[in-house]
Amino acid sequence: MQLFPCPFCGLRNEREFHYMAEPGKFRPDTSSQISAEDWAAYLYDTRNEKGRVREIWMHQTCRELFVMERDSVTMNVLGSTSLRASAGEAAE
Amino acid sequence: MSGTRISKGGLIDRSTLLRFRFDGRDFTGHPGDTLASALLASGVRVMGRSFKYHRPRGVWGAWFDDPNAVFNVTLKGDELPNCPATTTPLVDGMEARAVNAWPNAESDIKGGLDLFHRWLGAGFYYKTFMWPDWHLFEPSIRKMAGLGAVDGKVIEGYVADQLHDHCDLLVAGGGAAGLAAARAAAEAGQAVVLVDDHATLGGGLYQGDEPVEGEEPRQWVATQEAAIRAAGGRILSSTTVYGIYDHGLAALAEDRGFARAPRLWRMRARRILMATGAMDRPITFADNDRPGVMSLQGAAEFLGRYGVLVGRKIAVLSNNSQSTPIVAHLRAAGAEVIEADPDEGTLRALDGKRLSGVQIGGRKIDCDTILASGGLTPTVHLWRHAGGKLDWSAEKAAFVPGAAPQGMVAAGAANGTFDLDPALAEARAAALGNAPETVATGYRIKPLWPQPGAKGRQWIDFQHDVTLKDVELAARENYVSVEHLKRYTTLGMAADQGKTSNMAGLAAMAAIQGRPIPEVGTTTFRPPFVPVPMELYHGTRRGQLVNPLKRLELEAQHRQAGGAMCEYGGWLRPGWYGPDQETAIRAEVLAARQAAGVFDGSPLGKIEVMGPDAAAFVNFIYYNTISTLRPGHIRYGFMLRENGLILDDGVVARLGPDRFLISCSSSHVASVELMLESWRQDGNDPDRIFVHDTTPHWATLTLTGPKAQQIVAALDTGVDLDDFPHMTLREGQFDGAPLRIARVSFTGDASYELSLRAGKAGALWQAIMAAGAPHDLRPVGVEALSVLRAEKGFIMVGKDTDGETMPHDLGFGVPRQKKKAAFVGDRALHSDTANAPDRRQLVGLTLPEGALPLATGAHIVTTGPKPRSIGFVTSSYFSPTLNRPIALALLEHGSERMGERVTLRHMGQTATATVSAPCALDPEGERLNA
Amino acid sequence: MRDDSHKWDVPQNFSAPLAGPGVTISRIIPDRQTLISAPDILARTPGAAGWPDRAAGDSYTLCLRRDRVLEVNGPARTDGWDGQQAVSDITDGLTIFEITGPRAMELIRRGAEISDALPSRSAVRQAFGLEVILCRRQDALRLHVARTEAQALRKQLADHITLM
Ligand SMILES: [Zn+2]
Repeated sequence: MQLFPCPFCGLRNEREFHYMAEPGKFRPDTSSQISAEDWAAYLYDTRNEKGRVREIWMHQTCRELFVMERDSVTMNVLGSTSLRASAGEAAE
Repeated sequence: MSGTRISKGGLIDRSTLLRFRFDGRDFTGHPGDTLASALLASGVRVMGRSFKYHRPRGVWGAWFDDPNAVFNVTLKGDELPNCPATTTPLVDGMEARAVNAWPNAESDIKGGLDLFHRWLGAGFYYKTFMWPDWHLFEPSIRKMAGLGAVDGKVIEGYVADQLHDHCDLLVAGGGAAGLAAARAAAEAGQAVVLVDDHATLGGGLYQGDEPVEGEEPRQWVATQEAAIRAAGGRILSSTTVYGIYDHGLAALAEDRGFARAPRLWRMRARRILMATGAMDRPITFADNDRPGVMSLQGAAEFLGRYGVLVGRKIAVLSNNSQSTPIVAHLRAAGAEVIEADPDEGTLRALDGKRLSGVQIGGRKIDCDTILASGGLTPTVHLWRHAGGKLDWSAEKAAFVPGAAPQGMVAAGAANGTFDLDPALAEARAAALGNAPETVATGYRIKPLWPQPGAKGRQWIDFQHDVTLKDVELAARENYVSVEHLKRYTTLGMAADQGKTSNMAGLAAMAAIQGRPIPEVGTTTFRPPFVPVPMELYHGTRRGQLVNPLKRLELEAQHRQAGGAMCEYGGWLRPGWYGPDQETAIRAEVLAARQAAGVFDGSPLGKIEVMGPDAAAFVNFIYYNTISTLRPGHIRYGFMLRENGLILDDGVVARLGPDRFLISCSSSHVASVELMLESWRQDGNDPDRIFVHDTTPHWATLTLTGPKAQQIVAALDTGVDLDDFPHMTLREGQFDGAPLRIARVSFTGDASYELSLRAGKAGALWQAIMAAGAPHDLRPVGVEALSVLRAEKGFIMVGKDTDGETMPHDLGFGVPRQKKKAAFVGDRALHSDTANAPDRRQLVGLTLPEGALPLATGAHIVTTGPKPRSIGFVTSSYFSPTLNRPIALALLEHGSERMGERVTLRHMGQTATATVSAPCALDPEGERLNA
Repeated sequence: MRDDSHKWDVPQNFSAPLAGPGVTISRIIPDRQTLISAPDILARTPGAAGWPDRAAGDSYTLCLRRDRVLEVNGPARTDGWDGQQAVSDITDGLTIFEITGPRAMELIRRGAEISDALPSRSAVRQAFGLEVILCRRQDALRLHVARTEAQALRKQLADHITLM
């Protein structure tokens, strides 16, 4: 059972967390025309990488959304940043 | 002759006698004995029958490595199946029975099965019982297979205590290395937990009974224990580290005595030191499973710990140097020992159940016991659980720990350091995080592996009856990967998880294929290391606590009113009131239509969305336009997922310019709140939107029916009911507490939804009942409400919708065409799938008076030679109001089929119905304002 | 639908304390509990307790989220958005159990991976499979749990004290 670092709460048992999505995707502006391909990519494309990954998780008890960097093979956690704080960086 | 108790030595208390029975006979033993040691001491050798061939078996090992002696044990009326005789401490009054043997292990009636072994090899079942159908044979095969029998009685209070703990260093194994490591770490100030599965620590130190650092083993162990405790370390004995999980979590099972569930410790350790020792390997030779063929290490344990000499005239077949001190110990205890090199010639155990000797090539040694040692295998299971690597040591002919998992280190015999002094030095260094100096090993071994093609039946897996021939067969049939070999032959899949058989099995495969052992590799090691009861995992989460339901504030009142409490979407709610379900539902529906009904709607969500961006946010979340909703008004709408499918429906009320109240459906409160929270933080400004789930603070009682208004008017709420149109909300008070009244209707009749703090709900219930009595008010359960809403064609999400339903399938197509602002799921409503002409749409099905209600789930089918399903019934009831069955269905081209007669099929029955609008009662909505 | 009335204990009002070896569990009835959310709420309530902070006095504030606190027995406030903060009365929404006695922490460790070595800004956590707000108050531990789940929590605590 893993310990995940919530950027607000600190280390907590993995049961308190919920996987949300891969970061780096932005909702298309649906008030304009969006092609079926772009919408499908937004809905369904995931990289599902092996090794070092960045993922958005929710710490369910404090509802914090954050980006966690971890190794999907060794389960080592490499760091976490609140989604708010990472918003600028993610837009790169 | 077989085993005897010697007059002194061991860790048992000879001054106390414990009585027990085995297979119907009386025996005695002492405190400190296991069932196996007490039986061996009494001269019993046959302690079980093998799993498949019913061969007589005695013990092989003295601890968790024994595959053979498995008992059903009863103590004071509590019976446990599958107790390993070698690890079950003896308790006065125990009654033990060998499993898989009848009438007893000594003369098992199915012993004759062994004669058919030629046809019972690996894959026998797969190949034989294919035709005509495995299920024909399964019951009798299942009855013959397996080990202990469950008596079906529940042991009162057999519940596992579970707790979390943490430490700096967890030492697994309390032998020499573990004790030395724990002491060093504790004295250096680390928070240490030392865990050992025996009641008495010391590991293998009693086997040779040689001094340790100048002290007798018992004295040395006591000294270390005292020092560990003095330095603040903790010692858990009779406790097994049975699994290592991610991020340094170790699972420990603490034995709390017979017929008491063990205690689960979830121990989070910064570092884990594995000092789990090493196990003796069997030698693979003809009839090596005979009672009296035992592990050399096991015999040494029986002698050192229990004062039991396993035989008088013993042949020791050992290919390694661990035998020297053990042989000396056996001789000192009075045994005649003949040592022989197992590589000298072809081996065979002689004379079945009563062992008379061993054949080595042309030579025969007379003996009553054969002690075999094929070399030591480090106990590396925990290392592998944690993802550590194994290296092959040719020098030690064993897999030893290689690259370490994070936070883990191995020491002593578990690390392949079989010599005592180097093991102690290594353990102390490892405890402090230092690298030990390497010392040349004194351990010598001449590798000895199974010989393919050898004659006779040579056992690899004793517990699952897998022989060398089975491995050869698997290889011939190309099950050569160790994982395939395991599954095809079931090698290593018994309760002992291959502790004695894995090495022999993979070495046999290596020899058959001419590959080196490390290339063949090992199978995956998984927790639990020893069998543990399921109770260990679920702890107190049983009965009502498996999946506890949410409870209503007014549950006592509902029960008092005769409410039948049922499970609905995670809540315990009144389904109906009264002893007879059908009568009650009918009476409740009619009361609600003709007079008034009161319904507990407390589980309905009360999620408040507040802040300067609240209006825009709610408008984005809903399929329907919400931004135009005026304060004090209510709108019905859908929430979608981004793929356009319906997540939930319900009403939303605007309480103020910056404040909305979302009344999501009862079972979706948590998921809706999570969804709101994730959109709030992702793509919106979370400093301008706040989401408060206030659901548990409130209770809601809904009055519905022609008399509802009069009843509400009789309550002192301060709300003017005359100027109170449908789909608006007013705030008043009741008994000094704020009261919200919402005019929304799930029944089609005029309804008043009264919400107030839960603490006042009892008073409100009482006031409503009193005010309603003159008007024939009845409490209405969830079942009657389901009928009432179905009469109106109102849907329940998840019942009348499925994983393909979009709002336009339900007749709510306007926002899809007209809403300009972006909203969740918008683009998906214009996909090719969403635009497909043959989508299933919500319809009603009309049946004539006197017809039987349709089955929910019945398929609507096309007629003709190849009928095809074009839809299905989602809700079906008898309508007391209309005095005929009603139904809702999802049907392809449904809206174009009004008036069409359709055929339905269900479980071989056929029915017909007429497609109609979903709403079967009062389509003009006049009752709302009646 | 199946009538499961007999399968579920009828919830009591929890007024009788539960006692076990070294622990006593009592219900505390507060005058008021209020949820307050605002971007700067933590800056404005520096005393909001997380774990293992110790709340003191009759009136105390617990930190729940980056932008939310729970005020226990604070002043009366008007529900809604006042231009600065979002306020909701939650008095009847959270049932409070107080655990006293030398083995109080041992009992909590039955249901949560918790220790002083794992400090946390937020007092909300999962314990005994439920979402709870857990804090120290003076020498006791307090658990605030959704009223609808109080029966489940209380039953778990009752079970655990028989096994300790
Ligand atoms: Zn958190």
